[in-house]
Amino acid sequence: MATTAPASGPFQIPAHVPPELVRKLGITESPEFLANPHKFMAELHNTCPPIVYSYGDHSPAAWNLLKYEDAYFVLRHPEFFTTEGTGPFPRDPNDYWKIIPLEIEPPEHRKYRAIIDPLVSPKTVVAMETSIRAFANELIDGFIGKGECEFAKEFGRPLPVCVFLDIMGLPRDMMDEFVRWAMGLLHAQDRQIAGQVMAEVTAYLGTVIQEKRANPDDGVVSAIVHGRPGGQEMSAKETFGFVFFLFIAGLDTVFATLNNIFVWLAENPERRQEIIDTPDNINNVVEELLRVFTVTFSGRTVRDDIEFRGIQMKKGDRITSILPSCNYDPDVFPNPTEVNFHRPRKPVLTFAGGAHSCLGAHLARLEVRICIQEFLRRIPNFTIKPGAKIEYWPGGVVGPKDVPLAW
Amino acid sequence: MLLARSRRRPDGVQGEFTMALVTYVQHDGARQDVDVPVGDTIMQGAVNNMVDGIVAECGGGLACATCHCYVADDWSEKTGEASEVENDMLEAVSAERKTTSRLSCQITMTEELDGIVIYLPATQF
Repeated sequence: MATTAPASGPFQIPAHVPPELVRKLGITESPEFLANPHKFMAELHNTCPPIVYSYGDHSPAAWNLLKYEDAYFVLRHPEFFTTEGTGPFPRDPNDYWKIIPLEIEPPEHRKYRAIIDPLVSPKTVVAMETSIRAFANELIDGFIGKGECEFAKEFGRPLPVCVFLDIMGLPRDMMDEFVRWAMGLLHAQDRQIAGQVMAEVTAYLGTVIQEKRANPDDGVVSAIVHGRPGGQEMSAKETFGFVFFLFIAGLDTVFATLNNIFVWLAENPERRQEIIDTPDNINNVVEELLRVFTVTFSGRTVRDDIEFRGIQMKKGDRITSILPSCNYDPDVFPNPTEVNFHRPRKPVLTFAGGAHSCLGAHLARLEVRICIQEFLRRIPNFTIKPGAKIEYWPGGVVGPKDVPLAW
Repeated sequence: MLLARSRRRPDGVQGEFTMALVTYVQHDGARQDVDVPVGDTIMQGAVNNMVDGIVAECGGGLACATCHCYVADDWSEKTGEASEVENDMLEAVSAERKTTSRLSCQITMTEELDGIVIYLPATQF
């Protein structure tokens, strides 16, 4: 998840930060970033030291990590770098609640995550393949005859959101409402809108939690409401923080990923053909596209004063792993901007890593694979609608606003 | 061949640790000998020493099935059996599941396992 929390007050360089490492990179918000976000984040390796202290108009100042190895280390060492207090959503300091399981650290973390892991485990997810594939085809049926579609609205959005709502045990007819909420929280870049949406979401989730408490089902919300981490009942705030986090984490990420990938597919007919011609290589295709179209970031807080890669960091400093840049690290992925479906396997940081790695990763991989397979099977040739210009959302999940396709 | 001895951990954590030898064998046959602290898992031994072939996306939480390995035949008795949850996860590994398949995050190094040979699959996704 990313940083969209509003900055507080004018930026001042803390005394321990060397001025030569201070940048206003503009990630997630500057015009240069929004013109071509992934190209921008790939090129940072040529223009920027590996660790800089960056601040923005809509995000708090943080050490930005660009190198794969650095992010890999930070993500996997909660004893030095904690997720506590890193949640990117506005919360009332007088009525504070934790985003769960993200802001709970090992070993406690496992007790919470164990409640939902079985519902998104590789085995559970594999069992969903048939129904997701059928749903993908239903959506394609709806627009294939038109010769065009607004991919984001007609496919990229409904597919992952409806799959997510099914898993959560929430009604599909809430989709439009959920989408609006996700937009308000993740992309509005406006404190007032975010606050208002937050209030709506809080009210809705409160009702849902009560419903599931009265009528348990086999969905994720119910599992959380009735979950007992370590045998203890959760407080109302914990339950809310848990449901809220999954709600917001599950809505936007696969959507943005699919939109990015389909812009690229539309613009690269010969690569599309390559995918069609090598069906057995689909898992490598998915993994490579997840590498070059990583959509999010991962925040940590420095636990105690520490020297990291020769830089003095102070307790409480924020760190943001720029995961899309890390996945373009030339030391790990030679010729990093080339989309190469036959790279030697290296773990991608798309889903972060370590204890807090994305719990929807298996589902995301499956959804991306199914969408590519089914769309290319039914509509092998398509382009971006002539004259259309692709514009990107600002904010912590990187993807285009609209993807108008024609065939 | 007992290699057990003490030294600083490779991941930078300070302290005295008894080390035991793990040989990781890549899919293409390349072998890497790594000293792993007793008490760490075989997954941690690989990740902390940049051994390719083990992804361990979830960091040992038994949530991702991306640290799949094959225990060498003559060692599999000593590593014990997979738990029910691990067995469930193993059903979803991407490479072929064999009778010696384990998730390497679930095998903790002991002095008895000093010298163990671990074969890595071609894929983890």
